[in-house]
Amino acid sequence: MAKITIDGKELDADPKLTIIQAARQHGIHIPHFCWHPKLSVSGNCRMCLVEVEKMPKLAIACATQVAEGMIVRTNNERVIKARNSVMEFLLINHPLDCPICDEAGECKLQDYSYKYSVGYSRFDENKVHKPKRVELGPRIVLDDERCIMCSRCIRFADEIAHQPVLIFTERGTHVVLRTFPHTVLDNPYSMNVIDLCPVGALTSKDFRFKSRVWEMANTESICTGCARGCNINIWTRNNEILRLTPRLNEDVNSYWMCDHGRLGTFKFVNSDNRIKTPMIRKEEALMEVNWDEAISQVASDLRSYKKSEIAGLGSAYATNEDNYVFRRLMKGVIGTKFVDVVPHVKEGDEDQLLIRADKTPNAVGAAAVGVTSVDASTGLEAILNGISSGAIKVLYVLEDNIAADPRVASVLSELDLLIVHSYEHNETTKLASVVLSASTYAEKNGTMTNFQRRVQRIRPAVATLEADRALGGFSMSRWDKFASPNDRWGKGPRRDARPSWRIVSGIANALGAKFKYNAVEEVFKDLAEKVEIFKGLSYAKIGNRGIALTTENVPTSLIPA
Amino acid sequence: MTLEDLQELSEKEQQRQSEKKHRILYCSAAGCVSCGSDKVSAALKAKVKEHALEKECEVVGTGCLGLCGEGPLVKVQSDNTLYQNVDVRSAEQIIESHIVNNKKVTSKLTDTSSPFFSSQTKIVLENCGEINSESIDEYIGAHGYQALAKAVNEMQPSGVIEEIRKSGLRGRGGAGYSTGLKWGIVSKAHGDQKYVVCNADEGDPGAFMDRSVLEGDPHRVLEGMAIAGYAVGATQGYVYCRAEYPLAIERLKLAIKQAEKMGLLGNRILESQFNFRIDIRIGAGAFVCGEETALLQSIEGKRGNPKPRPPYPSEKGLWGMPTLINNVESFANIAPIIRNGSDWFSKIGTEKSKGTKVFALAGNIRNTGLIEVPMGIPLRKIIFDIGGGTTEGTEFKAAQTGGPSGGCIPAEHLDLPVDYESLSTVGSIMGSGGLIVMDSTSKMVEVAKFFMQFCMDESCGKCIPCRVGTRHIYGLLDKISKKKATQDDMVLLEELCMMVKETSLCGLGQSAPNPVLSTLRFFRKEYEELLQPVETYHGEPGVVADFEK
Ligand SMILES: Cc1cc2nc3c(=O)[nH]c(=O)nc-3n(C[C@H](O)[C@H](O)[C@H](O)COP(=O)(O)O)c2cc1C
Ligand code: SF4
Ligand code: SF4
Repeated sequence: MAKITIDGKELDADPKLTIIQAARQHGIHIPHFCWHPKLSVSGNCRMCLVEVEKMPKLAIACATQVAEGMIVRTNNERVIKARNSVMEFLLINHPLDCPICDEAGECKLQDYSYKYSVGYSRFDENKVHKPKRVELGPRIVLDDERCIMCSRCIRFADEIAHQPVLIFTERGTHVVLRTFPHTVLDNPYSMNVIDLCPVGALTSKDFRFKSRVWEMANTESICTGCARGCNINIWTRNNEILRLTPRLNEDVNSYWMCDHGRLGTFKFVNSDNRIKTPMIRKEEALMEVNWDEAISQVASDLRSYKKSEIAGLGSAYATNEDNYVFRRLMKGVIGTKFVDVVPHVKEGDEDQLLIRADKTPNAVGAAAVGVTSVDASTGLEAILNGISSGAIKVLYVLEDNIAADPRVASVLSELDLLIVHSYEHNETTKLASVVLSASTYAEKNGTMTNFQRRVQRIRPAVATLEADRALGGFSMSRWDKFASPNDRWGKGPRRDARPSWRIVSGIANALGAKFKYNAVEEVFKDLAEKVEIFKGLSYAKIGNRGIALTTENVPTSLIPA
Repeated sequence: MTLEDLQELSEKEQQRQSEKKHRILYCSAAGCVSCGSDKVSAALKAKVKEHALEKECEVVGTGCLGLCGEGPLVKVQSDNTLYQNVDVRSAEQIIESHIVNNKKVTSKLTDTSSPFFSSQTKIVLENCGEINSESIDEYIGAHGYQALAKAVNEMQPSGVIEEIRKSGLRGRGGAGYSTGLKWGIVSKAHGDQKYVVCNADEGDPGAFMDRSVLEGDPHRVLEGMAIAGYAVGATQGYVYCRAEYPLAIERLKLAIKQAEKMGLLGNRILESQFNFRIDIRIGAGAFVCGEETALLQSIEGKRGNPKPRPPYPSEKGLWGMPTLINNVESFANIAPIIRNGSDWFSKIGTEKSKGTKVFALAGNIRNTGLIEVPMGIPLRKIIFDIGGGTTEGTEFKAAQTGGPSGGCIPAEHLDLPVDYESLSTVGSIMGSGGLIVMDSTSKMVEVAKFFMQFCMDESCGKCIPCRVGTRHIYGLLDKISKKKATQDDMVLLEELCMMVKETSLCGLGQSAPNPVLSTLRFFRKEYEELLQPVETYHGEPGVVADFEK
């Protein structure tokens, strides 16, 4: 450890660190554009210049290693003057189109302009003009005028995504960011450069011009695109998800998420194809019913079959809580042995960074809470065979479109009764006798267990009829809080969907059981008492970064290789 | 090839040359080639043939003879006669009159006893004008590669470094860092592989010292690099040369081939355990690629952008390995130092600046060309004795050294000794050796503007102060020169200069304001005379100043 002094404060710092890192560890923010904790040092933005005693010139904090006795000043007149001129230089050619810029509100240049700039310009020359709409790849558009040439995007492409296609061309003020000829920025992680870009130069084709960032609420959650469970923020406005962005978690996804997770896992929540209320098939057609009717129908149907004629498939898309309550219904109340989960593994579709072959967020969790077969005679194959042979007449499926697999679909038509929890109309609901409208991951509270056996929280971002934004303690934007009835915001559709654990509890109780869960916290509390490996856990302990289940208690079959 | 073989070859070559009655050397450097020295050489050769003199008389191309403004130059080595402005006609006369009839061609004679020649001290250029620049034999005849042989056979690497350190040699690329210290750092740095790089980018406008050395005496640079390789433990060298120097590249290629063939480069050099290869890398002619970190990026095949230092190339250079990077002229000094010893070298020059410096004299001066002078020589002597004073009797106003990174030295400092320290006291730098003389007709604001435009165009754009600052300093200078500026603009100009200097990433931006600051320091009046009084100038309504070129 080296003793250093920053702005009069004496600190202990690891001599391997640079000034900016050491300062950060002690909560001192040194302004910067090009430096990023996960990228190599470029040293070009000149924003982190600080004065180091005994050094003749100002030093860049991002590239200057700390040393014993070093005395650093980040805020004296000389440093402030240098910073002011860096800001002045940056703004000379900047288009200042904040009013139409996606980045406004979360823009480093904008923030620093308030904090570190003098507030006026001494230059009246024409700005350098450059192209405003350059497609760098299928998902990314560049505005050259906004680019401050920090090179973060280039370094990300080179160092993290390993697709080195970005480069600056030309010289001086004419420098522009381009892809090498005949290449496009289209790697599976390409959109992270949008988050990295400190200004609004790189924009998402999908989100471009959709919303001012301060009009959205943002909710901490987990991506459901694969078993990684990248930590994310869900951004909503008018009860609609507009974008997902990665949220820092060094144990899971660092600062990143993949493009599939970012674009491919939320649109169904907003879609018109959603199931808006429970439905029961009457004379070939699914008819909308209310929850009481749906639940008592399911209960009375189930009562008329023997337990050996009933099978249940939990869901690797549903939460630990949903699966736990489902397991209690199937194995406890109904008493069937036929309980399993359908895996969704795409062999080979994985990489070294984040993407996992298992395309579900909670396969480990579903099994861990007991939604798993005891042996092959009660597993998925046995269930499908039982349906074919007529031995199994009723199938209860949690959130999973199992009929998307044509082999499964053909088997399902043999059933007497198919009960399905679903978010949207799909192949499985087409065959279902009862469709129970389930809340999506973005509409409920709960936990998922990723491939590392890490239990992580999801939180509701979209209101349903039963879960109110204000009463449910959702994250709220100003629109959410203050929109008046004649505002166009605040009128987004609310579906009559419920979390699976609540639906399942209702059915269990209708069958005579006593599931006393009023809130998901109670489910988790129960789960943590009854399921050995969850012992001692609570939502508070899981926090917003998750917590790993202890290895000793996990069945070896669940430990990923 | 062994040391003995080398000495034998050397003596044989000297013998061969002495057997010639006449050696006629024509300048084959780019300057003279561009004004027709190839026609001259053809004429010389034809005449030699015509008179059946091939046996006793040889005509060879040689390196820069110095007086570039008076080219093409031809030298008759046997009696040390120099001819200037030689054309085909006078070339024929040289053979017919001087060689055949022993009567010098007086109309083209150059006075070699003039101070232009007598005030120079030649180390780096010692072979230019003396040997055939394309012949390794002639280089060996002039004691070439003996220093390398001495180093690898008789000296420890640490001994070589110590010798260079004691010589006091400082880098000739501009900054003047001790060469011996740099070598020591690289030799101590850890790395599986080390590299030696020769910086032959020479991007300063008007500079051609390095080009002349490479064209005239390429083996000297190769030998210096090989000795460096031996000293620091490198086995691979690169010469990074700008594409605008095709002749230098051609001669280098030839020289490398010749040296490899004779076992002076490649594996087991001079039958020792030392292996060293040299390859050429060609740059696309960006000034910033002369900056060492940008140069290394460029060699790696990346965009030539500077990187923050530390880490210095000596610790982490090419592909992350310790890399020694020196200027052409620095390497050209190595062989003579090893051959003659550090004491010999350190006797030349001043206390802190040892040896000689090559300058490219240009501007409003009588003798434009390439000169080599001992460090510490008064500026006055360079300009008035060697340079012959300003053209047409106009009054001397200032000398610019260091190109776009340097400054202007006014008449009152003419007695300043030319060495690293003294030049910096007046706000200039030694630089790589461009020396531009300005007389009373020169406008200093225009001079500053010229260099600022150069820096603005050459800024790589990586860091914001240089990228934008140079453009706006240029804009202000433009405004001043067009008499549209006010005192406020002067304040802004000075502040901008200070900030660009203070906050830029690499040497280009950090020194780009120097020509402005130095002209402001000595010729402020010229700026102020162009200013508008604040009350009268309000700008043209509705028009913003635009200096887009
Ligand atoms: C913008 C810029 C351009 C430079 N151009 C050259 C050049 O053309 N040739 C050169 O030898 N050094 C040049 N240098 C200096 C090199 O960075 C480096 O210091 C030098 O090659 C070291 O060699 P030396 O120690 O032998 O001088 C330049 C530096 C800067 C900042
Ligand atoms: S596009 Fe954005 S991230 Fe890339 S260099 Fe420009 S400002 Fe930086
Ligand atoms: S100072 Fe100029 S040349 Fe050097 S890195 Fe900055 S922009 Fe490039």
